[in-house]
Amino acid sequence: MRIAHYLNQFFGGIGAEEHAGKGLTIRDGAVGPGKLFESLLGANDQVVFTFICGDNYAVENQAELTAAVLEKLRAKKVDLFVAGPCFEAGRYGMAAGALCRAVQSELGIPAVAAMSEGNPGVDLHRDALYIIDSGSSTVKMREVLAKMAKLGRKLIVGDAIGVAAEEGYFRRGWLRDQLVEKTAATRLVDMLLAKMRGEPFESEMPPTAFVPVPIPAAVKDMSKAKVMLITDGGLVPKGNPDRIEGTAATRWGSYNIKGRDDLRAEDYEVSHGGYDTRFVEEDPDRLVPLDALREMEKNGVIGKLHDEFLSTCGRSNPLSNTRRLGREMLKKVKQEGVDAVILTST
Amino acid sequence: MQLALANHPIKELKFGESARLAGTTLTVDATELRRLVLADPSISGIDFEIVHPGERCRAGPIFDVIEPRAKAPGAGANFPGILGTPTTAGLGTTHVLTGAAVSVLAEISPDLTRSATGRLLEMSGAPVSASDYATLRHLLVIPHTQPGLSRQAIERAYRIAGIRIAVALAQSAMTQPSESLHRFDPVGPAQGGREGLPRIAYVGQIFSRQRKPEVDEPILYGANTDGMLPVMLHPDEWLDGAVVPSLHSWFGGTETYFYQNHPIILDLYRRHHAREINFVGTIATIAGADNFDRERHCRAAANLVKWNLNADGAVMSKYGGGLPHADLAETARLLETMEIRTAVMVSDVSRDRRVESALLFNVPEVDAIVYNGGNGTQWELPKVERVIAATADFEKLLAGPMTIDANNIVGVTNQQGASRMRAMVY
Repeated sequence: MRIAHYLNQFFGGIGAEEHAGKGLTIRDGAVGPGKLFESLLGANDQVVFTFICGDNYAVENQAELTAAVLEKLRAKKVDLFVAGPCFEAGRYGMAAGALCRAVQSELGIPAVAAMSEGNPGVDLHRDALYIIDSGSSTVKMREVLAKMAKLGRKLIVGDAIGVAAEEGYFRRGWLRDQLVEKTAATRLVDMLLAKMRGEPFESEMPPTAFVPVPIPAAVKDMSKAKVMLITDGGLVPKGNPDRIEGTAATRWGSYNIKGRDDLRAEDYEVSHGGYDTRFVEEDPDRLVPLDALREMEKNGVIGKLHDEFLSTCGRSNPLSNTRRLGREMLKKVKQEGVDAVILTST
Repeated sequence: MQLALANHPIKELKFGESARLAGTTLTVDATELRRLVLADPSISGIDFEIVHPGERCRAGPIFDVIEPRAKAPGAGANFPGILGTPTTAGLGTTHVLTGAAVSVLAEISPDLTRSATGRLLEMSGAPVSASDYATLRHLLVIPHTQPGLSRQAIERAYRIAGIRIAVALAQSAMTQPSESLHRFDPVGPAQGGREGLPRIAYVGQIFSRQRKPEVDEPILYGANTDGMLPVMLHPDEWLDGAVVPSLHSWFGGTETYFYQNHPIILDLYRRHHAREINFVGTIATIAGADNFDRERHCRAAANLVKWNLNADGAVMSKYGGGLPHADLAETARLLETMEIRTAVMVSDVSRDRRVESALLFNVPEVDAIVYNGGNGTQWELPKVERVIAATADFEKLLAGPMTIDANNIVGVTNQQGASRMRAMVY
């Protein structure tokens, strides 16, 4: 198999930090760690060329670097793209990750990188890439390269990739079903007893952590604010004109309420299978409180209620999807000069 | 309190003139069963079919799977509160037709927003390795309900028909000597002789009140959980008909069969018998419709585990869909703050196969999680010789070849602990 390798200026033998501004060099054959990597592969496998670039140049000119690497790989086909190991070198890790990602998605060539856990390249790219945990010490170079070679070979041949702990890569955060020997009941009791005995146990799901959403500044004067109602409770006009799905909706709609003081049951229905919708069907204001907001508008509590409300269905909706829905709604909210949004859920 | 299970292994089911058990062959009298079910005015007709393991056969949508069981005379009512007075379940002898099942087919889809076919019973091919139901001999019950009934009334008729027939089948075998009699070791918070063993409780959700139950919806001893606070149950009550799934939740992976053969309770019993643990009891709880409900239920459940069962650890399972994740996690968190260790089992809610979409809670104390899979597997099902469905439309829909999500095969994803399909994190 034919392999292309990416190294920074240091591992590429050009020099230390003072050469970090150097641009891309392409060498035929293996260089530095690439030679060791080659020796760990089969007789017919070779590193056909090595990309070497200074760390500063790489992160400051990522687009140009990526374009140059892609151009070379379009001209000269390879079976695998390898980057690093980068260990703790942050700029090296970020560049290596971005290159692997581009090669993989643009050219369909499998890619493997290696970094230490704290390398910023890991968090930036772990969801899209196999990144072998290199640890922080270059002493482990051989071991790390061996893991990269093993995983790279599997990727080329299309063999099943084992779980993170088995293969040595950073967990990518993807789920894959597998039939196992023990029932969930037995695994559950096993896990509890191990936990109680103080023995090591592995939860089948790691805790999820989310970046907190900063709270925006308060609206200065609500009596002058334009307010919009948005719901994920699935309220739609009769007939569901936008065909908003009742589970994991991929669409949202905006519905006119201009000149109305109240949502009438005969005009609306609910597309949502996750709660008892009968009460909303009886009186849609229970979900989208138009009546209350009109009153506030009349009494000057709010400036104006926006002429449309937005609606989608939040049931079982994965985050990758809801982020997109949120961004799309935000665009409309901003375009139409809305100052405050009331989100009603179920 | 002690239940004895008189086991009658069944290897073959067949239709015949009069119901009887001869060796391991059970003859089913369809005429008699039909008469029994038609006593319910909401049912206008009923069909029966028999399927065996390995048969190239597909049936669905499956409303429920039930193990044929019947109480010995004097041991109390079958499905107390539903078929009889609410006597205490779990007392005396119950006859069990092991290896057999009564499976109820529906004329309607459980939830059109998720699956047109509902859950299917597949007796051969790839899905067999992932569902215990494929190893059983099924009497398929196909009730046809009167036109104009509400969805809930239809589902209630299915529930009653299924358990009635399951009881009747077992009653027809009960005169024969059983092959084995199984008694469980005594269990309870005050059982002596187990000092020093970890005291383990089970906390199981039996309903999620995100939908208000019907007035006549049988869930716990025939009642619909309105006004209910978590309650202590003896493990044998679960196994002996005190609890059935709610009417509208037959897509969630909870079937009567795995209450009767509750995988978590049976696993705890096994370890109790091996003197690995002291199984101190169980709590049946519900998921709330709002935060007020949630606070009440979660606190009450945790308090029972602490003050009534005096447990050191608890295993916990949920019901229904996504919302009950919150109640599960909050109860576990409360228990952890009481120094009671917990492990919880959750269903797969990640539709984009990302870890970040996998849990609807983010509670550091809840750190021992068993995760059922099923959202990421599809099977190619071939055209099969025999398709059994309640309507012509379903028959067409199920004929195959077809691609099916694993969680649309009944038994593959199960919230009572029977599932062996796991979502691994990569």
